[in-house]
Amino acid sequence: MKRPLRWNIALGVVLLLLAALVLAPFWFVLTGSVKDPAEIIARLPTMIPDNFTLQHYTKLLAASDYPIYMLNSLLVATASTLVTLGLAIPAGYAFFRMSFRGRETLYRAILLAYAFPSIVILIPLFGIFAKLGLVDSRLALVLVNVAFALPFAIWLLRSFFAGIPVEIEEAARLDGGAPFTVLRRIMIPLVAPGIAAVAVFAFVTAWTEYVFASVLILSDDKRPVPVGFSGIIGQYQIDWGLLLAGASLSILPVVILFAFVGRWFVAGLTEGAVK
Amino acid sequence: MTRMHKTTLLGGAALAVLLPFAASAQTELTLWHMEQPPHRVDRVQMLLDEFNAAHPEIEVSQEPQNWGEVYAKAPAALAAGAGPDMLFAIPDFAPILKGMGALTSVADFVEELDAEHDFIDSTVEAYSYDEGVWAVPLYNMSMNLWYRPSVFEAAGIDVPTTWDDWSAAAKALTADGTYGMGLPANQQLYTDQTVYSVMANGGASEIYNEDGSLRFDNPQTVAAYDFYNGMLEFSPPDAPSWTWGEAEACFASASCGMIMQFSVISTYDTQAEGDAADLGVAAIPSQDGETHNTIAYANAVMLLSRDEGKMEASKTFIRWLLKPENYGRFLNMEPGLFMPVTADGAEADSFWSDPMVEKYRSQIETVIDNSANGMLFGFTSGRVFPAIAAISAQNVLAETLQSVAVKGMDPTEAVADGQARMQDLTE
Repeated sequence: MKRPLRWNIALGVVLLLLAALVLAPFWFVLTGSVKDPAEIIARLPTMIPDNFTLQHYTKLLAASDYPIYMLNSLLVATASTLVTLGLAIPAGYAFFRMSFRGRETLYRAILLAYAFPSIVILIPLFGIFAKLGLVDSRLALVLVNVAFALPFAIWLLRSFFAGIPVEIEEAARLDGGAPFTVLRRIMIPLVAPGIAAVAVFAFVTAWTEYVFASVLILSDDKRPVPVGFSGIIGQYQIDWGLLLAGASLSILPVVILFAFVGRWFVAGLTEGAVK
Repeated sequence: MTRMHKTTLLGGAALAVLLPFAASAQTELTLWHMEQPPHRVDRVQMLLDEFNAAHPEIEVSQEPQNWGEVYAKAPAALAAGAGPDMLFAIPDFAPILKGMGALTSVADFVEELDAEHDFIDSTVEAYSYDEGVWAVPLYNMSMNLWYRPSVFEAAGIDVPTTWDDWSAAAKALTADGTYGMGLPANQQLYTDQTVYSVMANGGASEIYNEDGSLRFDNPQTVAAYDFYNGMLEFSPPDAPSWTWGEAEACFASASCGMIMQFSVISTYDTQAEGDAADLGVAAIPSQDGETHNTIAYANAVMLLSRDEGKMEASKTFIRWLLKPENYGRFLNMEPGLFMPVTADGAEADSFWSDPMVEKYRSQIETVIDNSANGMLFGFTSGRVFPAIAAISAQNVLAETLQSVAVKGMDPTEAVADGQARMQDLTE
């Protein structure tokens, strides 16, 4: 059935408004980062920069440790993502396939990790990590990120495994496939959208984590972007150009990741636990 | 084997034996500070490189931290034995580390430095209590009133000295999308500082009575909150969420006729017109127009090492840093913001010869003059009440203002609530 023209126009207007609402902050951050300092703080903001300059990016990359922070974030977020996937895939499959006493209780209990505000365990965790010699190490951040991303990742993946017709798995078993082989050869390819969703979730969680990184990392050269960058912009005096350039660059890896796996991510969310 | 070969071999063997001792004889010190902007880190590094080159037996390295995190991070790191040897502080922060037994009194060391450089007394007083001195003052900051002379001239108004003048000037400058007075009302440290600057100019500088009981709830405090709330009428609508940076941007973009800030020099020079002749700075107006007070506090360094050798090496570094030929360059890691705490530092060529300081010399001289009447809540009149750390950490002054400005509570009632809150926090 064809929609009347006025409904199409109304729908278009609503979509445009929504797009403007979502994209406006990005637009102002990105365009602001290439404006000269006076234009950034001008009383009336300009939509299109009057003058184009890369001075803030030059300053950010040449005069600060921002590139080191980016590298640290990439290392920590990538490692956190890989470890989360490495643990969540077999764990999600085990919760789906294996029968053992207390399975449902344990499955529900793992989400309790989300019940604790992270700030509550910050100081005790610092003490434990200090005893293990992990304070001021990127490994500490990977462990924390994995600990926080893993419960949701397991939940999500179990739902994906449950969505695969049981006949496929049974056929593989009848052909003599061991559980691990079935998981690797049959199940993992079938839940690829779910794995992509978990990967994006784990990466973004690690990329944006601030609280633990701010306390567990002591040295400037090991700081990830959120912590290092918050220091660069200053307290009493803010360099707004630097702030906008840093903010623009900090979203770049996440944008790139979404560009590659975004479609899978959306498919993952709609086909998985959120369905 | 020739004599030369023998000599070379013996020399090599001697080096191999002695080098480890030489290496182990070097004292390594870690300095935590909260001056994270890159140019400040660079300046500190430049000074550290010079110091380390001049003192091969000591190696000082810096680890910049963030003020937003250090209150949790430093106690945790010290408790875990991973803390620094030297840590910068403000008066509110020192009692927290002292409370956990991390500080040793440096009274004798401060006395020695005072004899050589002559500290401004109030900077030492803020760290002197419980029969000790708990940090060495390093650099001063004080709140001032900033304005543009050309804007005042165009509006036909003089620099305000009384609250009535101030209010009238803010009203006159509020027109055509500009605001007379940019004031924050956020529950944050900046608001604490601006509120206290108004309180101190209205006879309400004392939070405590002599006996240590709270006297926040008094008519002068109520009048200060009432006045502040009235001045918010001439501030931009987003001002309640401001911190220092937003106020500076408002002033630099000529959207605010006046603001209260430690310094705007750096931002004004790099992000606004940078015309030194059109940057005005004055003392914060007082209720009676006579004594002008302001919030001011000295940042200091706490010496945390328990190792005697490290403690002595830390003192060697501080002695070197406070020498006039080095001290001015240290202060000018942010020209116009950090002021000297020593008499010889205030005259040091290394301070006044910085190009930015030369350009804004008259403004900086006024800032130094204004800081003579600087005070900090909980640290006034030579008395220090360490319990103020909890009150400051919760931004109770700002919280009380929010009760008035955001919730619309009567100032009398809000100030009474504020005192009750302070009582709760310190019990």
